[in-house]
Amino acid sequence: MSQEEDSLTKNVRLRLGFADQLREVTVTTPKDEPRPWDADSALTVVGQPTPRVEGSLKASGAAVYTHDVRLPGMLYAAILRSPHACATLEHLDVAAALAQPGVVAAVPLAKVGDRLRFAGHDVAALAARSRDEARAALSAIAVRYRPEPFVVDTLEAMQPGAPQVHAAAVSERRTEGDEPGEASGGAARGNVRLGPSQSKGDHKKGLRQAKVTHSATYTTQVHTHSALETHSLVVRWEDPRRMTVWCSTQGIFSVRDEMAEIFGLKPADVRVITEHLGGGFGAKFGASAPGSRLGYAAGELARRAGAPVSLCLDRREEQLCTGNRPDSIQQVTLGAGADGALTAIHVVAHGSGGIATGAGVGRSAFGVYSRCPNIKVESHDVFTNAGPSTAFRAPGHPQGAFAIELAIDELAQKMGRDPLALRLAHVEHAVRRYQLELGRERFQWAARRAEAEARRARGARIRHGVGVACSIWGDYGRAKAAVVTVSVGRDGAIFVRNGAQDLGTGIRTVLGQVVAEVLGRPLAEVTVLIGDSELGPSVGSGGSQTTSSVAPAARNAAEMVRAQLAELAARLLDRPISELSWGTDGSARAGRRSLPFRELCQKIEGEAVVASATRPKTYGAHPMRYPGGDNYQIAGVQFAAVELDTWTGELRAAEILAIHECGRTHNPLTARSQVQGGVLLGVSYALMEARVIDRRFGQVLNPNLESYKIAGARDLPAIDVVFCEVHTGANSTGAVGIGEPATIPTAASIACAALHAIGRPVRSLPITPDRVLAALAGQDGA
Amino acid sequence: MTGATKLTRRGLLRGFGAAPVIASCAGPSSGEAAAEAVSPADPLIDAVAIGPGLAPLDLRLNGAARTVEAAPQATLLALLRDQLAITGTKEVCDRGACGACNVLIDGEVRSACMTLAHDVAGREVTTVEGLATSGAPSPLQRAFVELDALQCGYCTSGMLISCSALLSRARGPLSRAQIQGAIAGNLCRCGCYEQVIAATLSAAGERSAL
Ligand code: FES
Ligand code: FES
Repeated sequence: MSQEEDSLTKNVRLRLGFADQLREVTVTTPKDEPRPWDADSALTVVGQPTPRVEGSLKASGAAVYTHDVRLPGMLYAAILRSPHACATLEHLDVAAALAQPGVVAAVPLAKVGDRLRFAGHDVAALAARSRDEARAALSAIAVRYRPEPFVVDTLEAMQPGAPQVHAAAVSERRTEGDEPGEASGGAARGNVRLGPSQSKGDHKKGLRQAKVTHSATYTTQVHTHSALETHSLVVRWEDPRRMTVWCSTQGIFSVRDEMAEIFGLKPADVRVITEHLGGGFGAKFGASAPGSRLGYAAGELARRAGAPVSLCLDRREEQLCTGNRPDSIQQVTLGAGADGALTAIHVVAHGSGGIATGAGVGRSAFGVYSRCPNIKVESHDVFTNAGPSTAFRAPGHPQGAFAIELAIDELAQKMGRDPLALRLAHVEHAVRRYQLELGRERFQWAARRAEAEARRARGARIRHGVGVACSIWGDYGRAKAAVVTVSVGRDGAIFVRNGAQDLGTGIRTVLGQVVAEVLGRPLAEVTVLIGDSELGPSVGSGGSQTTSSVAPAARNAAEMVRAQLAELAARLLDRPISELSWGTDGSARAGRRSLPFRELCQKIEGEAVVASATRPKTYGAHPMRYPGGDNYQIAGVQFAAVELDTWTGELRAAEILAIHECGRTHNPLTARSQVQGGVLLGVSYALMEARVIDRRFGQVLNPNLESYKIAGARDLPAIDVVFCEVHTGANSTGAVGIGEPATIPTAASIACAALHAIGRPVRSLPITPDRVLAALAGQDGA
Repeated sequence: MTGATKLTRRGLLRGFGAAPVIASCAGPSSGEAAAEAVSPADPLIDAVAIGPGLAPLDLRLNGAARTVEAAPQATLLALLRDQLAITGTKEVCDRGACGACNVLIDGEVRSACMTLAHDVAGREVTTVEGLATSGAPSPLQRAFVELDALQCGYCTSGMLISCSALLSRARGPLSRAQIQGAIAGNLCRCGCYEQVIAATLSAAGERSAL
């Protein structure tokens, strides 16, 4: 994105693009920005597969998670939750609980007269000397509920006359895990509220022009995050105006701000520590869980008790009230002309995030097949008496991708066209087209399709199917949000400091790599300190924005430190700074003379050379922008091969080829793990997981990990991860996100492969044996 | 060794007529990582009442003799994490469904959440903290790091225990299927199974190369 230079900016020519499609592009950056790494930058540390620096802590059991924090005098909290799907609180008295053994403090979390809108709603909390005592004392709390009519089924909740979940308008709860720009303030009718909508052209006209149309309804289930470490925090008051909070969070500063607001403190007086966390997947922003006021409960109990309080949810609570991916009912209508070109895409989606909003279906239908001129996507939130949804790895996208991709395959089937060819004809993004073509060869698309069709034709018991689907996501790297500090001491010790948290993505390692790269020192000499709000502002790890927000800031700070060291070296070598160069071993060189790194460091005046830096707003989006934005559009595709036993209806994901990009891949080892994890999450979503609520009693039947099935080692397909590096010119290191894209197309590609194997669509997730058998028996849609 | 009754949480559950819970997530478990509780003795024989308060027990924990006090209903997991503050072993489901709390009891993989503390009286308990030899990580631990068999790391200690047990049990070369069997009861939400398999194969290879 180049423009006129002014006193604050400069234009830089970069080699951008991917594979053999590289070209010179001018971008405008701030004047003091280092030259962004592009296709010509030869890097030696960044881009190398690098084991995560905290690996041995995790493998030895020494890594401290919030659940592991043990403080002198620490109390354990437990929460009383409403057993009713909907009830009015008629009476609440926590006093009796205080007389129970070990109990030190108790607080109400609801008021008499409150409507408690789902089974699992907060009622009261208490803290005791042991966890057993805390849990046992809950039954001593005096409480009376008046049960009220409720509705837990999405379709039922849409009917006129259904019990009204919310009496008043609902405001949207958004976190850093949500995709930017998706907010909506839609009007509500009954339990239905208009959600985000995207539109271009005239879909009605497009449908009138169509020669072939396809229209069907696609449904997806409620999916729970099921992170292994449950939501948890430990609060210790240092004095009446200051607290320290250990929290299992994806957003240290969101915890700080929430605790400061609840307790009327200055944000700077709330210190938040997250050394490690056991997964989040979008559900862990803020001190509280989406459906439980953990921040208030722990902070208030600690205040009243005058002792630190640990509040760690148990598995049941985690599954009930800490968020989920909403279900969806998507009516998809497609039209195509006689030449096979899409003339219209229309999606009307309804979904329930329980008592919360957030049931949009992402941008797949709107953004991937953008050669279609007429597209309309309308989404609606349907309120039900169930635990609130929240951002979950690529909010909205997996369910949206499932519906549009399967619909495209059905349309292709109707027209007798190859679904991959149909996609290639409508995809605009050059990287995505390249990925599709790469996958076609690598996955042996044509040969495998033919083999699978031959099996189907001859009525083999075991059938095969092959499918493909795409992902779309944006580069949401944030400007000026993360401040990274780099220091080099007289002893040569290099420190990197930032208050980011490592969700398991490996950001610690990437920060170390970037600084090691700039200073020309081995990674082992760099100490990365993160996970503490005192280490400097940072972003939440959601929306695939951490690396692209923090790594460029780290580079910029390291470049400033290097410039100071270079100046010192020039003085010591008595040469003009213009003659000075920086060796790959960190030595400073001028002419024939050179100064090794350590020697140079010893000459540092004072204790250390220090610089803090941030990153500016995205300055490049090559070769393709996100619909409606200035930011880069991240492309990915996945190919799936499934195996189907026609006797049992069991469908197995046998192989997934995942072709993705994260701009410049900073650490291929950890990025690959992240993609594999995203794929496996998608496999699990496609074939196994479903939260089940009993309609008559409004109770979740599987709030656990034994009847809520998540994929295990034996469900693992062969996953082939391919990175196709793209130089986007977005920031100084070229990082863009990968966490979300990796899980978007998996379920969709499996559903398309299932259609190929069965010959008929299964239009509901998860694709369980009963649905497969129904499809095999000739029922469309199952 | 105390002569205490071999109480197990599962035994108690069974006594109450509750259905046993199952650890495997795909097909029958090999039994290697299953959440079987320890019940070697008939509770009617050799019975000595303990409780209701704290009662002492002796065990060997990561190679060292320990005498600790535990309530009769306390699980081994609660003993380790809450009482002894040895927190490498994780609690995730607290009911035998995930393998995060796996420990070795006399070399066998057990779920610490499904084992009563008093059931390990006189026995040898190894947690993830005990897998290193005088501070040096085991080849398996090293392979986990090198091959990135961990992301958030919350399942890691359980995985390491399951795979260590397999390595010390298995003769001859390991197969993928054997490892998948050994970790069939270990859930990983970050999706590290492939790397866990690779790390275990690599550690096995290193061993046979010796
Ligand atoms: S099996 Fe013990 S915590 Fe899950
Ligand atoms: S590494 Fe996160 S659960 Fe396995």
